[in-house]
Amino acid sequence: MARDYSTENWIDWCPGCGNFGIVSSVYRAFSEMEIEPENTVMVSGIGCSGKMPHFIDVNGVHTLHGRAIPFATGIKMSNPDLEVVVNGGDGDLLGIGAGHFVALGRRNLDVLVMMHDNRVYGLTKGQASPTLDRGEQTKALNSPNIQDALEPVSQALVSGYTHVARSFAMDSDHLKESIKAGIEHDGAAFLDILQPCVTYNDIHTSEFFNEHIEKLEDGDLESVDDPVEAILNAKIEDKIPLGTFYRDVDKPSFGERIAEQMSSYKDKAPAHKEIGDEDGSLIDQEKFESIFEDNLIKKER
Amino acid sequence: MSDKLTMILGGAQGSGLETSIQILSAGFASSGLGFLADREYHSNIKGKHSYVHAEVSSRKIPRSLQSEIDLLGCMDAETLFTHFDDIREGGYLIYDASVGDKTQGEIKSIDDRLRGRLEEKFDVMDIEGTVDSVVGYLREEKDIDIVELDYPEILEELQEKHDISSSQASRYVSSILIGGVAGLMNIEKSMIDIGVERKFEGKEKIADQNKSLIEDVSDDVKEKHDSPLDIGDTSIEEEDFMMVNGNEATGMGKLVGGMRFQSYYPITPAADESFFIEQQIGKDENTDVLVFQTEDEIAAITSCIGSALTGTRSATATSGPGFALMVEGLGWAGVNEVPIVITYYQRGGPSTGQPTRGSQDDLMNALYSSHGNFPRIVIASGDHEEALRDAVRAFNLAERYQTPVIHLLDKFLANFVKTIPVPDVGKEKIERGDLFSKGEDYKRFEDGPVSERGLFGSEVMWYTGSEHDEEGNVSEDPENRIDMHKKRMQKLEIADEEIERRLSYFGPEDADNLLVSWGSVKGTALDVIDGSQEDLAYLHIRTFSPFPVDEVIKFIEDRERIISIEHSYSPRISEVISLNTGHQIDNEIVKFTGRPIYRDELIGSIKNILEGSDREVLKHGP
Repeated sequence: MARDYSTENWIDWCPGCGNFGIVSSVYRAFSEMEIEPENTVMVSGIGCSGKMPHFIDVNGVHTLHGRAIPFATGIKMSNPDLEVVVNGGDGDLLGIGAGHFVALGRRNLDVLVMMHDNRVYGLTKGQASPTLDRGEQTKALNSPNIQDALEPVSQALVSGYTHVARSFAMDSDHLKESIKAGIEHDGAAFLDILQPCVTYNDIHTSEFFNEHIEKLEDGDLESVDDPVEAILNAKIEDKIPLGTFYRDVDKPSFGERIAEQMSSYKDKAPAHKEIGDEDGSLIDQEKFESIFEDNLIKKER
Repeated sequence: MSDKLTMILGGAQGSGLETSIQILSAGFASSGLGFLADREYHSNIKGKHSYVHAEVSSRKIPRSLQSEIDLLGCMDAETLFTHFDDIREGGYLIYDASVGDKTQGEIKSIDDRLRGRLEEKFDVMDIEGTVDSVVGYLREEKDIDIVELDYPEILEELQEKHDISSSQASRYVSSILIGGVAGLMNIEKSMIDIGVERKFEGKEKIADQNKSLIEDVSDDVKEKHDSPLDIGDTSIEEEDFMMVNGNEATGMGKLVGGMRFQSYYPITPAADESFFIEQQIGKDENTDVLVFQTEDEIAAITSCIGSALTGTRSATATSGPGFALMVEGLGWAGVNEVPIVITYYQRGGPSTGQPTRGSQDDLMNALYSSHGNFPRIVIASGDHEEALRDAVRAFNLAERYQTPVIHLLDKFLANFVKTIPVPDVGKEKIERGDLFSKGEDYKRFEDGPVSERGLFGSEVMWYTGSEHDEEGNVSEDPENRIDMHKKRMQKLEIADEEIERRLSYFGPEDADNLLVSWGSVKGTALDVIDGSQEDLAYLHIRTFSPFPVDEVIKFIEDRERIISIEHSYSPRISEVISLNTGHQIDNEIVKFTGRPIYRDELIGSIKNILEGSDREVLKHGP
């Protein structure tokens, strides 16, 4: 029987929230992949998306606003055997946490970033997020948005992510497959997940998305290995394409880069190293003096 | 013949001063002499004045410096103008005779305020203000023996002898200074050669050229001046020394303590520690530490926390401005009971403040920063050996109590280079605290105050910055809040009962006058009480949270006078003692220029306090 990845916690998102679609796709993806709960870590930031880990039966780290990526980075670096997935909102990842978003791309660390893209800050009652277009006025705004939007796929591409895709919260099959592909990718993967906020976003509703979305089928794109083309493919006139825009499997992952400089990393990452014997001894006197030989000075007479 | 010598060697930043001091200190240590040096420099890469203020002793390893110096060695005219007043009557000066005509007005890097002070001094001295006039004054009025060397001429000879291009020649100025010092002190050539070989390892030709230059200058100085600063053969018993600065001592302790992950964002004066740790990679399985340069200090602390959640001993190192960015993460580690170590090197603040100057003004920041309350352990080191041992201890405490530990140091200690007896690291044991061994129904925050800590990879658990239940799921229930908040805070009560080495007391048990301080003031305070005729003792506090309330009360009760000493505008340590014990400390000696506290100025200020002053502000140091 397929494993159930739900928890006993009552899910307190608004009825009709896109997050239900996202979490159920996660359950299905994990189930099909037979994800091991103890070896998987779901890391989130703050906001409605931040609650995700509490509803999924794998290790969960509900962190600070904007900081899910650096938490995940420390987890993955010290224990590369863990499968690490980041869930964050558009404000979390591209607003307060934008610096970390870029840094993860530069490192190509093997983490999947799932961005809940609903164009508003939900939990603080509907302010404009960095993906809301200039001129748009969602219902909680006093006036139209005067800041330009960031296009998340382009942002991920210029930052160096090596697997960049987009999906839709209400298309469970597409999203499930997108999550699986992102996890399977060995490097920094970014998945932009379009999502309605039923309470605060009266512009980008399910109907809006259904109208504008254009699902790319296999072979629709000539290539997925050119980042410049990928940026162009991510937006076609007023259509929002769903699919994988870019994939690079050759660029070395952060783990590989570390192993190149520290040969022991591959076989024994920090979390797997013994720290002291039963007696609590680690570096004895002789070893100490040999390690720090450069600081040791013997009296010459 | 004196058994010790204080000197200042100065030059423009990036002009080779570092090389001189590395070679000389290795030479001293190889001769079995004790050595302590402070490095003073600007936030600048090349050009501004920097100097080394050092003491060398044949009797004991120096613990402090004095402001009055026996010898001033100048690489340039600015050094002479900046420090000439500090040479004692009958002292020694090494300078470049070719810059005799130079005036301070021609030197762009001199600060306007110093310019003003120099003009006033030169007026009083009734001299025109050239290098030659200052040197003449020193010779005539202060009986100072002048070692006059023509640097360009020496370099020209060197160029001819070794076929060195003129653009390369300036790199050898440091060796002229070394030769001068070695000659005056009568340091054996073979000892200096050891220093040169260490410095120029693998560059035999350059090493030989420097050796011969040093020897020539040294012989010349010996012949003309007869080594008046010979401090004699060493009577220090140690056969072997470690020569370390505070960054290195702390880095060593972290490795001895089993650290496997260190994150950092470049900042003075903390970054050198990470650099040092990185240099050890590949030497031993225990030195393969992931040293991770992050995009900012927020990522430094949060990646450190992430790493710690996997069971990896993890730390981050920073200074005040970086710590400010870490505070939200610190609170997350507190509420989630994550063992992390933050190594906090204090520098002058607020804001950018004085990045390359020392301070002890961040005690309150370390103790109280963060919204909300959680148990934190705050320890502070007073010298290199304490720094090493405290670095090990920090990880043990973090894991024992599953909470963040802040290890406070300062720029002084970070940059003080010292010969220390080789630390006996066998004494330092690794204690990992309560780790969960595989079982059913694991709950991360069950059975407190200290719960068994499970690790990713073996169990399933949840963490959240929100108030949470035993399982780590969000809960705002008032009874849960009481239970969980109490569980966390009680850890500090346990720590208060268990933690040792929280303070040290030095001097006569019933001394009337008690000095109280912490951090790098230790060495100066110890030297002052040791040499004092007054009835003085010193209380050195090493743990500020949990604060050793009863012990401190025991030591401060029934004293005639208690004097706080600190590098701050008003002593934080007085506030902390008052907060914890209710005792008011009425006397204080402070310094907030960012320069070290020198023992002669401390002695003077204590005298003033004993004569009735209640606050003394120390100012020495250019």
